[in-house]
Amino acid sequence: MSGGSDLLVNMKFKLDTPKVLISLNGLPELQTVEELPDGSLRIGGGCKLTDLIKNPLIVAQCPALRDALYGVASRHIRNVGTLGGNLCLDTRCWYTNQSEQWRDKREGCFKTGPDLCHVLKTATRCHAINSSDSAPLLIAIGASVTLASHTGEREVPLIDFYRDDGVHHTVLESGEILVAVTVPRFEGRAIFAKLSQREGLDFAAGTFAAAVAGPNDHLESVRLVVNSMGAAPKVLIVSEQILKKSGLTDEGIEKAALAARGTMGEITNIFTPSGYKRRLVKALIRDALVELREQPAGNEASR
Amino acid sequence: MTKQLITLTVNGDIHEIAVASHHTLLDVLRNDLGLTGTKRGCTAGSCGVCTVNGAKGEAICSCLTLAVEWDGRSVTTIEGIQEGNALHPVQAAFLEYGAVQCGFCTPGVIMTAKALLDVNTSPSEEEINETLAGAICRCTGHIKIKKAVRAAAIVLREREAAEAS
Repeated sequence: MSGGSDLLVNMKFKLDTPKVLISLNGLPELQTVEELPDGSLRIGGGCKLTDLIKNPLIVAQCPALRDALYGVASRHIRNVGTLGGNLCLDTRCWYTNQSEQWRDKREGCFKTGPDLCHVLKTATRCHAINSSDSAPLLIAIGASVTLASHTGEREVPLIDFYRDDGVHHTVLESGEILVAVTVPRFEGRAIFAKLSQREGLDFAAGTFAAAVAGPNDHLESVRLVVNSMGAAPKVLIVSEQILKKSGLTDEGIEKAALAARGTMGEITNIFTPSGYKRRLVKALIRDALVELREQPAGNEASR
Repeated sequence: MTKQLITLTVNGDIHEIAVASHHTLLDVLRNDLGLTGTKRGCTAGSCGVCTVNGAKGEAICSCLTLAVEWDGRSVTTIEGIQEGNALHPVQAAFLEYGAVQCGFCTPGVIMTAKALLDVNTSPSEEEINETLAGAICRCTGHIKIKKAVRAAAIVLREREAAEAS
């Protein structure tokens, strides 16, 4: 357990019933931010979100990461919640994330036992939603995570850290912890956008992160990621190709947003109707890309 | 049930308490120490009525932190913020502006506002809104609460200026 603001709630709801709980809070080694010789940042998994928001290295190198972290829950939660905890945040679903009494009256599901999903009847796996706000932005800027166990450490690109399965939603193995996040030196522009029903202290209905390098009319690289739409953050490859070809033009942005809406595929109707989510994806992406276009190109600290 | 002995400083008083390993800081404050000013609400970090201030003055939901993790640490609750016999400026402002309806959320809102004003006596409207998002009043809305917070900020600012000169 790190901050515990997610896990303890799930334990109270009897969604998690660990026999033993080990706190990582007393480990200062997990709470440092350092700049590596190659200019990348190594952020300890146990760093509190409140501290990261104020961290001058993060504010200077990637203000969009600060924006993403600032959007997480409330001050109260960010004062205890950690970056590692936000990345490992358990998936949520309106069927399962209810009181024990509510669940007792109904059938189980993938999360609690039988191979059933009550949200998507045809499902062959759990479709609970990954609501990590930091994940899409960190994936967009190419971050990786360091996982450690008693047998050693391994480094995993963040996009490969997630599995598109609400029950086993990360590759984290038993006995393994997330010790650090490495953010490569980022020379482009990035943006994070979140839409939730309530502005503060709410899980997102949708989040979107974009990272681009190069001038607006000739992008050298584009990475677009959405989250809070499925069990894993999703990279929008088709939309990326469109933008690479057309640049951040009105037409390119519109096409990319429309393509994103089309590629969402098996979007689940968790918390909000799926039709609403499709429209939301399009609007979220379009507005964020228009805003990103206005950011000055070329310099690393863009906003 | 396993119990662990912890040393916890509450409002400046040092307590040695045997706490159940699964009890939250809120449980210990209310049930073991009888400090019932800190309220128990949603117990899931959504409402903020259980807000206390940590050693750095930060607002924390006491329902979402295990008491055993507070061994050797200190915490301030609503019972510990008055200044001698006088109310804390945030408390006084809440009274003056009637920023109370049923009163259940008030301790949490005051501890949330105090955490903000402790580090920033000139908060912007956005900062006040963003901070209070973690402490919800379900009776009245936040208009009077925000008025009280702004008024308390002025008092604290003047005090700061007086101390500096």
